[in-house]
Amino acid sequence: MLWMPLITLAQKTVRYDLYVRDTIVNFTGKERQAFSVNGSIPMPELHFTEGDTAEIWVHNESKKKTSIHWHGVILPNEQDGVPYLTTAPIPGGTTHLYKFPIVQNGTYWYHSHMELQEQNGMYGAFIIHKKEETKLPEYTIVLSDWTDMKPFEVHRRLHMANDWSAIKKAVVQKGAVQSYADAIAARSLKTKFGNEWKRMLAMDVSDVYYDKLLTNGRSEDEVPAFKAGDRIRVRIINGSSSSYFWIRYSGGKMNVVASDGMDVVPVPVDRFIIAVSETYDVILTIPSENTAFELQATSEDRIRSTSLWLGTGIKQLISPLEPLKYFEGMQMMNDMIKMDGNLDDMGMNMSLQQMDMNVVMYPEITGSKKKKKQGHKHMDMADGKQYKSNELSEIVTLNYNMLRSPVKTTLPEAKTTVYHFELTGNMNRYVWSINNKTVSEADKILIRKGENVRIIIYNNSMMRHPMHLHGHFFRVLNENGDYSPLKNVLDIMPMETDTIEFAATESGDWFFHCHILYHMMSGMGRIFSYENSPPNPQLPNPEKSLKKLYADDREFHFMFLNDFATNGNDGEMMLQNTRWSLQAEWRLGYSAKMGYETEVHMGRYIGKMQWFMPYVGLDWRYRRMESGETERNLFGQVNTHNQRTVLCAGIQYTLPMLIVADVRIDTDGKFRLQLMREDIPLTKRLRLGLMYNSDFEYMAGLKYILNKSFSLSAHYDSDMGFGGGFTFTY
Amino acid sequence: MKKLQHFMLGMSLLLAFTACASPIKNAKTETYKVAGNCDMCKNTIETAANKKGISSAEWDKDKKVLTLTYDSKQTTPSEVLKRVAYAGYDNEQFLAPDDAYAKLPGCCHYDRMKKETSVAANPANEQKESETVVNEQEKGNLLSGVYDHYFALKDALVKDDGKTASAKALALAKAIGEVDMKSMSSEEHAAWMNVSGDLLMHAEHIAETKDIAHQREHFSKLSQKIYTLTETFKPGETTYLQHCPMYNDGKGADWLSKENAVKNPYYGSSMLTCGKTTKTIR
Repeated sequence: MLWMPLITLAQKTVRYDLYVRDTIVNFTGKERQAFSVNGSIPMPELHFTEGDTAEIWVHNESKKKTSIHWHGVILPNEQDGVPYLTTAPIPGGTTHLYKFPIVQNGTYWYHSHMELQEQNGMYGAFIIHKKEETKLPEYTIVLSDWTDMKPFEVHRRLHMANDWSAIKKAVVQKGAVQSYADAIAARSLKTKFGNEWKRMLAMDVSDVYYDKLLTNGRSEDEVPAFKAGDRIRVRIINGSSSSYFWIRYSGGKMNVVASDGMDVVPVPVDRFIIAVSETYDVILTIPSENTAFELQATSEDRIRSTSLWLGTGIKQLISPLEPLKYFEGMQMMNDMIKMDGNLDDMGMNMSLQQMDMNVVMYPEITGSKKKKKQGHKHMDMADGKQYKSNELSEIVTLNYNMLRSPVKTTLPEAKTTVYHFELTGNMNRYVWSINNKTVSEADKILIRKGENVRIIIYNNSMMRHPMHLHGHFFRVLNENGDYSPLKNVLDIMPMETDTIEFAATESGDWFFHCHILYHMMSGMGRIFSYENSPPNPQLPNPEKSLKKLYADDREFHFMFLNDFATNGNDGEMMLQNTRWSLQAEWRLGYSAKMGYETEVHMGRYIGKMQWFMPYVGLDWRYRRMESGETERNLFGQVNTHNQRTVLCAGIQYTLPMLIVADVRIDTDGKFRLQLMREDIPLTKRLRLGLMYNSDFEYMAGLKYILNKSFSLSAHYDSDMGFGGGFTFTY
Repeated sequence: MKKLQHFMLGMSLLLAFTACASPIKNAKTETYKVAGNCDMCKNTIETAANKKGISSAEWDKDKKVLTLTYDSKQTTPSEVLKRVAYAGYDNEQFLAPDDAYAKLPGCCHYDRMKKETSVAANPANEQKESETVVNEQEKGNLLSGVYDHYFALKDALVKDDGKTASAKALALAKAIGEVDMKSMSSEEHAAWMNVSGDLLMHAEHIAETKDIAHQREHFSKLSQKIYTLTETFKPGETTYLQHCPMYNDGKGADWLSKENAVKNPYYGSSMLTCGKTTKTIR
């Protein structure tokens, strides 16, 4: 809706009724389940004026519980909509009233904070107009990402390091799997080896493959009718679950005038990245008549884009962003990561998005050719110039140091408490945490009303994180000192250290978390809890509620795999959460001579990188041996029994090149050492697996991935010989 | 045997025929206006528009019309015209991105379909625009064309873009040929004649190849000559002499730049900020 503020709205109660329904949508040609609100995705655009009272009736007509959070809006704690933390969830078939005074202005949004519902369509714009607004026409766009896969499936697969998402990306854009074949084609084999040596999976800027990117629920949206010279304010909301977007305009520079709802001193830029859940307001100028100008949002992985067309007529395009130079990025990561998995910024003091290590992957900044390997001694790393996008190119890219508040934002004089948050993560097992603790593993952080809270955040993980604080604005300390900007989302890139601070002026419990949906659900967050807060009427039993909240990141994820081959069945099953793992493996021959074998163990991952896992388990095997036949292992230990049932204890450790070493001893006193590497990506779809152990058993297998569930497989196994078949993966 | 040969010949002819004849199903043919200049344009436009089995197109250089045959179930004319625009060519539905147009070789720089009425986007831009105007008035220099194209060439080398470098060098060679010698004083004329032959030679060498290493060799010599000219012909704006100590096995090389920040044309992205400013020419 093109909003023309013609009248000054008086202070009043503004009522909206939102009807949440289960619905079937079709964005891609396939029908999928989703949530619609008042019949639409995104949810309806809500407009208020500062000073109003918002009265929002949520009628939950779906079968699921829901809970709506008003993102960036200052309100009483029990209205915040974090289920079980601030507000009771709304059961299906009931109505809930959210009512709060509107005490601010700007561009905000609202979304479901319940489970993964946000990915399924529950996001919308929440616009608060100033009492006296400048007479510019304005338009709001809500950007989002859509996947045909159920969000639950997306989440489960992420935890199982399933690379189906990368294969789907590679269908759109060659090389996205970063297989060994891709590495050879890019003449970067050494880089790929270096990467696996340091125990990293493929270099990626985003985890999830999306089938569609949407602007207000459409691939392309349009606002018609402008004259040359017209200026329009576009409010941009990133309502996606896990996609960052590059925003660019084909009609010239964009004038950034607000971020996360707060005004900033206008700054003209060629492009900016909008983190998940951030909002930016830009003023665009229409350069000529009878032409439509493109405001394009390209996902950070550059796989897809979505556009808003401003004006009508012949369409002025903007060039697509060229594919990322993945192996340049991989080399950069190899240089920055230490053998123990920690990151090393080489003394560059990175902060505020100024030094984007990813520029090495951006062809438009650093050229399209592969960088030559020449020793260049005086390439002074310390000032990190080679990563400062704005010094490398004519293209002006916004960063947080360029944001300046038009008014002083200094906090009132008060005692300041300082917290150090290290953002930690483990890509292989998709564990995301702060100071290596998830929400459920950490205590609430107690703060006092009246004090100032300063948080120094260091991102020691390999991905960027949009950290969002509920119910407060924080200052992002930058070179503008007293005029540092106010925001409620801080995008922090790997290796960066940023400082934010806020005045503790509220009461109750407030969530601080990464706004990448799947990171949040994995436990990347903290709860700030005001001491001596009055009881929350929404949550009569706070302890029980808190357990429900904690259940999110304690969730176990299930995985199953079986290879149906000519020489037997080979399979495994896993049930895992942040720290615990229950694994079962089996090898079932088709005759007693081939034998049957199962192993079940339960282990706990230790340490930040989770390379180390001690376990205990139970093995059972049956193999009919020829009379006089004995089995002997590397240590000279002998076995003559047909059937064995033993308890065992062992440790698994992930070695460089992602080889899993498994050492164990069983109740018969037998030792076994096993080395295994699965899923070596040879090409886009071909995977190699290798295994060897001290019982002289070995295996080599190839898998060709057909789709998300089935692969063709062929392997040679020392017990069962050669076999071919297909593998089913869940 | 003979019969077999005939048969084979017949089969191969048939194959050749079916390969030529468009195998496009659900075919629709329509014509669209597409801007362009020359045979090179024709090649680029058609390459962008063709997609095996889905769309095939022919562009008429004189009429500036694209005859497009496409599979109406698989694609739309908009999709095809979008690709043509991304390749740098304005057409009746899409205007090419400015950078795509700029990357076209010199001979392909057709007159764009829409002359944008430039509008001051915001106060910051207004200021910038007025600055440029002032600079252009100040310039009034006999060699401004030569300098401009030199800087464009340097920028292309900074971006490791051999293709653009080649195009810019061609434009530079042209500008060298068009320098107005009649308006020169005798001192200026002598300075110009001293180096113009070398300048032309190096520019042409750069234009002839897309091999960036070779272009850079010539660029280092070209830069030396250009620098000698700045004594006599002051560049319109402040210009910086910059030096990379690494190039040519440590012998080093110079270049001129309009900005003080170092962007190395000899190594491009691999060590963009290597080097330092050794002299400021005002």
